[in-house]
Amino acid sequence: MAARKISKVLVANRGEIAVRIIRTCREMGIATVAVYSDADRGSFHVRNADQAVHVGASPSRESYLDMERILDACRSSGADAVHPGYGFLSEKAEFARALDRAGIAFIGPRPESMDAMGVKTTARKNMAAAGVPTVPGSPAPIADEAEARAFADRIGYPVMIKAAAGGGGKGMKRCDAAADFSRLWQSARREAAGAFGDDRIYLEKFLEKPRHVEIQVFADERGNCIWVGERECSVQRRQQKVIEESPSCVLDERMRQAMGEVAVRAARAVDYRGAGTVEFLVDAHRNFYFLEMNTRLQVEHPVTEMVTGLDLVRMQIEVARGEPILAQEQVVRRGHAVEARVYAEDPGRNFMPSPGKITYLRVPAGPGVRDDSGVYSGWVVPQFYDPLLSKLVAWAPDRDQALARLLRALDEYTVHGITTNLPYLAAVLRHPAFRSGEYDTGFCSRYAEELLARPDPAMEDVALIAAALSAFKRDTEEAEAFAARAGEVGASRSHWARLGRARALRGGLR
Amino acid sequence: MATISYVALLDGGQRERKVEVTRLAPGVFQVRLGDTTHEVDAYRHDHGTLSMLVDGTSHSATLDERGDVVHVRLKASVFPVEILDEKRLRLRRAAGKFTVEGKQTITAPMPGKVAKVLVALGDPVQEGQGLLVIEAMKMENELRSPKAGKVVELHVKEGQTVEGNAKLCAVE
Repeated sequence: MAARKISKVLVANRGEIAVRIIRTCREMGIATVAVYSDADRGSFHVRNADQAVHVGASPSRESYLDMERILDACRSSGADAVHPGYGFLSEKAEFARALDRAGIAFIGPRPESMDAMGVKTTARKNMAAAGVPTVPGSPAPIADEAEARAFADRIGYPVMIKAAAGGGGKGMKRCDAAADFSRLWQSARREAAGAFGDDRIYLEKFLEKPRHVEIQVFADERGNCIWVGERECSVQRRQQKVIEESPSCVLDERMRQAMGEVAVRAARAVDYRGAGTVEFLVDAHRNFYFLEMNTRLQVEHPVTEMVTGLDLVRMQIEVARGEPILAQEQVVRRGHAVEARVYAEDPGRNFMPSPGKITYLRVPAGPGVRDDSGVYSGWVVPQFYDPLLSKLVAWAPDRDQALARLLRALDEYTVHGITTNLPYLAAVLRHPAFRSGEYDTGFCSRYAEELLARPDPAMEDVALIAAALSAFKRDTEEAEAFAARAGEVGASRSHWARLGRARALRGGLR
Repeated sequence: MATISYVALLDGGQRERKVEVTRLAPGVFQVRLGDTTHEVDAYRHDHGTLSMLVDGTSHSATLDERGDVVHVRLKASVFPVEILDEKRLRLRRAAGKFTVEGKQTITAPMPGKVAKVLVALGDPVQEGQGLLVIEAMKMENELRSPKAGKVVELHVKEGQTVEGNAKLCAVE
């Protein structure tokens, strides 16, 4: 296998993931190129990279999703490889092909694997053929609303309406009754068109009390394929993950092994290369079904990194260079890791995004804590992109300690100027259902009321003291400043008076 | 010794509590809350961080000022508080209370794009009925009518970008 040289990586992404990739490149002595839209000139990833190329207007369709502009940036900067991060162009096979034609390495799977997994309906068909269990659903995308509605009636509500090109919860709606179908169908289509430039939609049966457990897989170009442990991602709001942990409380060693092997089989079935994630739904009876394969690095990959001690981005680059991955038996998992996604959003207003200026930011530190952030104090969080600010991860020898550690770190996390979900995250981690490990993807909606963190009444007096002291300081300082200025004016006036008097006196003396 | 009396508005203005502050020495205060009196040693750090020794217990509060309301955070607890002296309280009382009587203007909760206009001018609407869909940060958010009535103003079209707080429509 000919080794491939990678000396300059263009990171075709923004925000925290761009920063995270740049960090590993720096550690490996690889030069980096950032790309940025109008809104992102001041973004954290731009000043972290060695080079930066402007790629267009603020809406992602005119910048980060514009393949031609990204390709131009590769050529003009002399990058010999592209890391796509997650979202944007990361799962566009066409992009990988275009890079290949340009002689630039794509740090990701082969385009054929992306085709096989990218359209979710094709993926389900491929997996069923490979003997991997799948959730019942429409075998192909459905174009017509009436036809889709008829299919939904047939498999029975609730159903999931999903973008065929989807991922990350965009263009995905849960529909509980026929009456809501039309509205949700159309909304999913619009979201899918906006996020992926592809509005094909399919339907899937919604399983009762499902848990979302995914397996990280890794493959190299030499025929090795391994699984690197699971992540439990059942805490989701609006179909987007909020908290992820590893190991999952629902798996025992036998089930973990079985799922790991199925995941490897799924990856091998599409001749996979690099980092991938096979997502499963685990139902109340602990049956597991293939949901989809994400042919990219996941947002929550740090959870696996903390538990295994591996750097998945480094491994991706090594695979892209043609180097071998470690052997299955060399993968050692220890302790427990939990990740909380810090979003600029208001949980009290149905998780409405809250873009705006971060007037102050202080991030947690201390034992076992990792903060993968893409923002800084003074940064204006733009309205155009995902509201993820940072991922806060804690590691400890066991689950209780890891949760306590993450809670401690969340207490230290301070973001001023915009509304964040920090109190919500703490409420999730404190919730008895979460603590018990007995939770499923319905967790956030089932406990929606309880999770709207109310402040601790015992702290109210202290809060009022703080607010009053701050007001007191402001009011007395204002008064003092006013008095000082008034004094100055008085003094200067008396200067003239004094001068006049002195002259008069001098004159008088003369 | 300077003493100032404040009224703190909590729970979005639904609850009032009196706080009286007296400076005893530089950085040392006596704070009266109802019948309780605390001695507080306060040390101001950067950016709204306030270290307080309240009767000897150490608290680190962060104060995030958002216009009239200050978000006071102590560990995971956030208290949105409006703190008023007597003059400000009188002004505030004169401004009246929030109601859904009369014309209700619907404004954009954040900057974004109008993905869909679900009503036309003059349409009758029910309370809770969707009026518009705003797309921001790749997510769609439906804005619903706060009351039953009629759409009396419509300021935006589909596809239009709007600033935060922009007037979108009104229901009466």
